[in-house]
Formats: sequence, C-alpha cells, structure tokens
Amino acid sequence: MDLDTVKERAGPRQFSPDDDMPREYREAATRMIQFHANSEIMGAYLERPFIREAPSLDRKLAYSAKTQDELGHGQLLYRAAESLGIKTREQMLNELANGEGKFLNCFHYPMESWVETPMIAFFVDGAAMRRQATLKRTSWEPYAHAMDKVVFEEGFHIKHGESILKELATGSKKEQEMVQDAFETWWPRIIQFFGPTDDDSTHHDFSAEVGLKQMTNDELRQSFLNQYLPKAEKYGLEIPDTPTIEQDEDGNYRVAEDELDWEEFFQIAKNEYDPGRGQIDSRKRAHDAVEWVRETLDEYETTASGHAPQAAD
Amino acid sequence: MIWEVFRQEGAGKYHTHCGNVHAPDREMALMFAQIQHGRRKPTHSIWVTPQQEIGEVNEDGATFGGTTDKGYRWATQYNITAAAEEVADSESEQADAEKERGRR
Repeated sequence: MDLDTVKERAGPRQFSPDDDMPREYREAATRMIQFHANSEIMGAYLERPFIREAPSLDRKLAYSAKTQDELGHGQLLYRAAESLGIKTREQMLNELANGEGKFLNCFHYPMESWVETPMIAFFVDGAAMRRQATLKRTSWEPYAHAMDKVVFEEGFHIKHGESILKELATGSKKEQEMVQDAFETWWPRIIQFFGPTDDDSTHHDFSAEVGLKQMTNDELRQSFLNQYLPKAEKYGLEIPDTPTIEQDEDGNYRVAEDELDWEEFFQIAKNEYDPGRGQIDSRKRAHDAVEWVRETLDEYETTASGHAPQAAD
Repeated sequence: MIWEVFRQEGAGKYHTHCGNVHAPDREMALMFAQIQHGRRKPTHSIWVTPQQEIGEVNEDGATFGGTTDKGYRWATQYNITAAAEEVADSESEQADAEKERGRR
C-alpha cells in the first residue's frame, strides 16, 4: 500500500498485519507503541517498591495487582509493536535495558515516599488514560485491541490512586502537608506529560495523517486540565504558581509553558537525566537477574519433545 | 482432520470462534469455513487452525480469578465517583464482567 492510500484510508482499526503497510507507517507505529510499552514497564518498576511500603494489607494487595497489570500491558504492547515487523520483542526489551528505549518523562523520576504514589497512580495514570481512551480508535488494529484490555483494567488503577489521594488529603495535618509537597514536586512534570506545544512536536503530523494518533498534545493537555485540575482542588491541593495557568473566556486553560524546565525534559527524552538513568539501570539489573529463566525457557522450547506446531515459523 | 474456525465480522473487530470443519488441508479448511461460516453472517476475515494445536484449560482444572476475595482488583470496589468519562466507562465494563462472573 502506498502512503497516499494509507492517508486516504486512515481510520479507526483500519490496518492489520494482513495489510502491506509502507515502511514509514510501520516505523512510526513501532516508535509510538514501543514508547508506550516501555512506559508501562518503567511505570511498574517505579511503583513496585510500594507493594512493600504500602501502609495496609488492602493497599498492598491492590498495588501488587496494579503492578502485575502494568507489566501485562507492557507485554501486550510489545506484541502489538512486534506485529509491525520492524523490531522483535527481545530487541525492544534489550533497547530498554541498554538505555536506548524511550519512555514517559514522569517515570524517570524516582519516588521516595508513599505520599507521592497518588501523583503517579491518580494524576499520571489519569493523564495516560485520557490518551489511551483516544487510542482505542488508532489505525493499527493490534494496538487498538491492546487498548481495549488496557483501558478495561485502568479504571481500577485510577480509582485506587484517587482513593489513596483522598485518604491522605482528608488525613492528619501532617499528611495533608506532605501530599501538598509531593504535588508541588510532581505538578510541573505532570503538565509536561503531554510534551511541548504542537509547534515543537516532531512526530505528530505524520502520525495524525495515518490515523495512529487521534488527538494532539495540546488537545490532550487541555482535556486533562479540564478534568483533573478541579479534582486536585476538590482534595484541597493548592495549584503551584509555576507554571502559570490561566483560564480564557471560553474556559480553556492556558499554560505558560516557557516557565517549565524544557532543558530537563529534553535531557530526559534522550535518557540522559541521571535519576532516570538510575531507573533504567535498576530495571536492567532486575531483568538480568532472571536471565537464567529466559535461557531455560528458550532451551526448553527448542529441545522439548512432542510434535512441532504445524504453523510454527 | 478437524480445523477450528474463527470469524471476524468487520475490519478492526476480533476474530471469534464460531465452529469447526473437517478438511484434509488448510486450503480446503478455508474453503469449507467460508461456506459454513461466512455465507450469511457478516464476514470480513476467517482464520482456521488445526484442532490439535489448541491448548485448553477449563473450570475443572483451574480456578479462574483465584479462590480468595480479590475485590481490590475492581474499580467498583472503590467508593469514589469516577474522575473522568473514560474511567466511568472502564468501571462499567468491569461491573458487567463482575455481573457475568456472578451469574454463573
């Protein structure tokens, strides 16, 4: 299929592995889905310590279930990316380990304390959910199918995150102060979640033309602020002064983006931010530690007796 | 040889199991599947796979979802109004799934 036909036909769930897609499409889709998959994995590693640090059994169980879900999302997405024929799952996992694989800005910052957890589990996941709900209409069918399952499960994650926020925000004065501090630290990063304004976005135009992306960064940021800024206020969180956010007469939010630290953002985007390198390396160590399991499974797969599947390639 | 048949109603939808056919090879299985399963109901694509390639585990061999209360896994168990439309949608999908599980 040539690129003009792709652009003409671009629509929700329009293209599947049966279609002969041009390289440009397959590369753009791989970049996007690999980024998404990497982010699921890195998010899970970021939250993993809080299974142990959870303050109650309920929270511990819920965090354990959530982390398990996120790793599952990563696996689903690597499968969807693999179906484009550009990279194998193993290649993508190796790229993540050696620091080439890119992932969401927020997951480059380590979390120190339980009070930070709703920043990820409510605000960042809430932002991700806004984007993911639109991706159910992406043009790469395996990606849309992965989104069906991801979005089905995410409802629990976000309500769980909000439930933690509610508990802290209605807790002791000390807890309220601590959650406000965490919010101030995380807020600018959360705003940067949707990247810079469209003018500076490198990949959007093409991805939108071929139906991979459904909404621009600006539209998503706007819809996130519309929905989640009032939530922050509802829980008594004070919105930090930086960046300045103003509402115009139509009720739309305007973010003074030049007040945000884009140098740090682009350092992160290149995997060159030190704390982020720490996150990447610690995941690599965990991944390497179970190398023997993968090796054993691979060995078993190639030597196991029994009939070879007829369709194996 | 028996081939299991999966029919997809339209582009972008899921291939769902709809039955099986007897056929000596894949080519004929696809032909028979078209005639038996793709003739009346809307069909965009059909998959066939040899029956012996399908692995199965059922309720006799597994306790799906575990044996303990895993209420914490469900959006419906958190006493909070959904923060956004897509969260509410996800929650109602979960409520449907829970209801279907409960009915059995």
